[in-house]
Amino acid sequence: MSDKINPQKLKLVKRPKNGSITNPYYGCTVGAAYSVLGIKGGVPIANCGPGCMYKQFFMQSFDNGFQGSYGAGGGNLPSANVQENDVVFGGLKTLDNLIKSSLAVIKGDLYVVLTGCSGELIGDDVPSVVKKYRDKGYPIVCADTGGFKGTNLTGHEIVVQSIIDQFVGDYDGEKTPGLVNLWFETPYYNQNWRGDYEEIVRILRGAGLKVNILFGPENEGVKAWKKIPKAQFNLIISSWVGLETVEKLKEKYNQPYLHIPVLPIGEEATTAFIRKVVEYAGIDKKKSEKFIKREAELYYYYIEHFAEFFSEYWFGLPSEFAVIANSDYAIAYTKFLADQIGLIPKKTIVTDNPPEKYRAALAEEYKHLSDGVAIEPDFVEDGYTVQQILEKEVTFGPGVPLIIGTTWEIDYARDHGALLLESSSPTTESLVVNKSYIGYKGALSFIEHIYSATVGGK
Amino acid sequence: MVKKINLDMSTVENREMRLGTIIGWDGKASQLIEESDYEGRSEKKQGHGCGGGKGGNCRLCELKSPLNQQTMCANAIVECQIGNTEDCILIQHAPIGCSADNPWFNLAFHNGLVRRKKKLQNLKIMSTNLSEKDMVFGASDKLKRTIREAKERYNPKAIFVSMACATAIIGEDIDSIAEEMEAEVGVPVVPLHCEGFRSKHWSTGFDISQHGVARQIVKRNPEKIQKDLINIVALWGTDYFTQLLAPLGLRVNYMIDCANYNEMHQASEAVATTTFCHTLGSYLATALEQHFGVPQIDAPQPYGLAGTDAWLRAIAKVVGKEKETEEYIESEHKRIAPKVAELREFYKGVKGFIMTGSAYAHGLLSVLRELGIEVQGSIVFHHDPVYDGAGKHQDSLKEFVDNYGDIEHYSVSKTQAYQLPQVFRRVKTDFVVIRHQGLAPEAAKMGIPALAMGDEHIPVGYEGIIRTGEMLKGILARKKFNQVLNRHVESPYSKWWKQQDDPFLLAKHPEILDTVIK
Repeated sequence: MSDKINPQKLKLVKRPKNGSITNPYYGCTVGAAYSVLGIKGGVPIANCGPGCMYKQFFMQSFDNGFQGSYGAGGGNLPSANVQENDVVFGGLKTLDNLIKSSLAVIKGDLYVVLTGCSGELIGDDVPSVVKKYRDKGYPIVCADTGGFKGTNLTGHEIVVQSIIDQFVGDYDGEKTPGLVNLWFETPYYNQNWRGDYEEIVRILRGAGLKVNILFGPENEGVKAWKKIPKAQFNLIISSWVGLETVEKLKEKYNQPYLHIPVLPIGEEATTAFIRKVVEYAGIDKKKSEKFIKREAELYYYYIEHFAEFFSEYWFGLPSEFAVIANSDYAIAYTKFLADQIGLIPKKTIVTDNPPEKYRAALAEEYKHLSDGVAIEPDFVEDGYTVQQILEKEVTFGPGVPLIIGTTWEIDYARDHGALLLESSSPTTESLVVNKSYIGYKGALSFIEHIYSATVGGK
Repeated sequence: MVKKINLDMSTVENREMRLGTIIGWDGKASQLIEESDYEGRSEKKQGHGCGGGKGGNCRLCELKSPLNQQTMCANAIVECQIGNTEDCILIQHAPIGCSADNPWFNLAFHNGLVRRKKKLQNLKIMSTNLSEKDMVFGASDKLKRTIREAKERYNPKAIFVSMACATAIIGEDIDSIAEEMEAEVGVPVVPLHCEGFRSKHWSTGFDISQHGVARQIVKRNPEKIQKDLINIVALWGTDYFTQLLAPLGLRVNYMIDCANYNEMHQASEAVATTTFCHTLGSYLATALEQHFGVPQIDAPQPYGLAGTDAWLRAIAKVVGKEKETEEYIESEHKRIAPKVAELREFYKGVKGFIMTGSAYAHGLLSVLRELGIEVQGSIVFHHDPVYDGAGKHQDSLKEFVDNYGDIEHYSVSKTQAYQLPQVFRRVKTDFVVIRHQGLAPEAAKMGIPALAMGDEHIPVGYEGIIRTGEMLKGILARKKFNQVLNRHVESPYSKWWKQQDDPFLLAKHPEILDTVIK
């Protein structure tokens, strides 16, 4: 059945592995400085070259929906700005001075030293310097985040685990029933993360859970991190980022985890999500069912209004779409549009280079997008190859194709008269302040943005 | 002997070595002029005497802070120049993080192409995308493969290869690879030694970019001179120079951003070279003069009345259009006088502050003072006591002070936002003008709106005074937003730091940190 709907096309374009990249979709390991900024009171201290943080700033924040930053700031993080002398003679003295002055000048509750390529390649003993300050009582940890180790997502896991090991520490006390650690979108990199955190927290609370929020607008700072070991379980809502962390927590604090691989969008998916989490947590269903009823009523109140436009608009609406996005957004957006709106998925390309071991499971999700709808996703991190695939392997029918993509698909969209909604990193033609496309409320915003663009608004 | 730019070498001597560039200093502008001894250094550069005045051989005193915040690097600057051409490819020989700012320069490229009325396209910078394995075993094969791919994918007119911190530390030999691959792919392959840790100031990256272009792209031994062509070393600014130079019968050849290979190639056929900013343009202009005989315009930068007059006159002399130019200058003065008077009336009592690169700041300062805006202080991200051309009339800071008076608090500091609480306590301002990220958001929280001078040509020339004056009105109005911010958003700096008075305290007395952090 699925083959008839979406016949397997011949792969015309080579998909090189670990090859060169034109038009990148992510930063490098040290870009996880932005995960630290996702924690209130978190101060990254960059132990790397002068341009490193500048470069990461664009991929994570400025050119990712112009998100801006909070607290210690995105455009002006403390940085060793490693010089030739440091490379030749070692950079520990520069780092020591930087840490000392950062502690004195920049307010913070947790300082995270991130070492980039230079520091790692010259082999400085960073932990010894950091330990000196930790022994004096300062909340400071370090992470080995040499840029050559991988993407900012690789870095995110390294940073999170460094904080757990060096700041949260050991624990063998009581667990708090009903308390759940929320492992969710990667701060800044997932451009709607702030709005998405708000929506998912609203939903989980509505369902009766006590949520320990580790990042984002409702994070209570490092206090939440200290609470991690007390949680009853870890809830991980993510395609793959964070799986290593929850595995670690299972070992370290004897905490089980529930993995939800697809961000829920729309009433049906979100309601199913709530029931699954409530079932797992073993809490009273009365509260969650009451919440679901109320949310569903509201949702369809709006959907009924929308249906009038959707059924009656005379001047053409897109019926086919492609998604070019990170793992989380790629599956979530593809599934919602295919299953709940009834758009035809022509191609989904996952851009964040997930580790090989997770790819089969990720691809599996695309086999069950909806009844009778399946596609095979591509994993490509090179913008040139993405463009080639769109050019040579995708044929859109009449009507305006919808591309949920990034700024790198501008050339393709212009040449093919496609409607491009920039929704994943990098994004330079869309501003994100408080946006969410997930859950109950986010789904409505998603519809609004797509069709507002369709009818000519931007 | 004149110390010439050496195009036989693939590397460029850093600005701090070549020019004596500093990144930390605090005092009166006039004092910095004196300490810089431009004249003495200029004489030395020109090969007269050995050091001339007292400063000719002397390094400028420099403040070095233990606390630094993120800045740009030479590698990023190379992206912003070489990565923004129409038909050449830049390969970043580096892990992928060095390319994480590609989307920013893509945005700048798009804007530049629109301003120059050229065909829109995404930039096509390539990364060799190095991993941990490559750090251990070397990455030369990856680079060769990527050069072949560049040729195959884009068929570029030239391929540039930039070095990064990681590839420099593991000792990648991009010179040999470039030479070998040039023979194979049949287009110039240009190595650029711009690893981030190389120079303390990113502007060395301009020199490295321009060195590569002068060395391997610009036409050697041109058979003709295009008598109506003038090189303008620029970034992405709107083409106001065509209008400004039209009365002199000149066509503009913009270098390097948004240019194509042929435009860069023909630079040696031009009648002269000049720029909107000596920090950016002096290296290429000097290289073109020394190696291709294209004279560099020895004049102040084209800002404000005096600067623009002198700049036009110097160009007129080279192209023999003195008479037309005098008429043009006179008519322009007359034309803008009523509007400038109106703007000066509007800006009575308004105070301004500049935070940009060095020579460009001198231009902006001239424009603010032309508008009657009071300037008590400014921050430049570095200071070059002399430029490569070392022309008699290129001492841009002195030109400014001579024409418009001193600046009480003139600071050299490389995008260090943590100093702003002190800076804006000792100096009052109603707005700031910025380029480069990080400072404006901090000023914003203190209630000060920023004019992000993204189109760097806006203040150029006579009309530039008016353009800037008009634009600033919108920025001053934004103060409403900044006051809201100031009422509700906290500064990220500690109570202890905010109580200090001297923005350079940590550089002058680093030992004080031991009393705070015990």
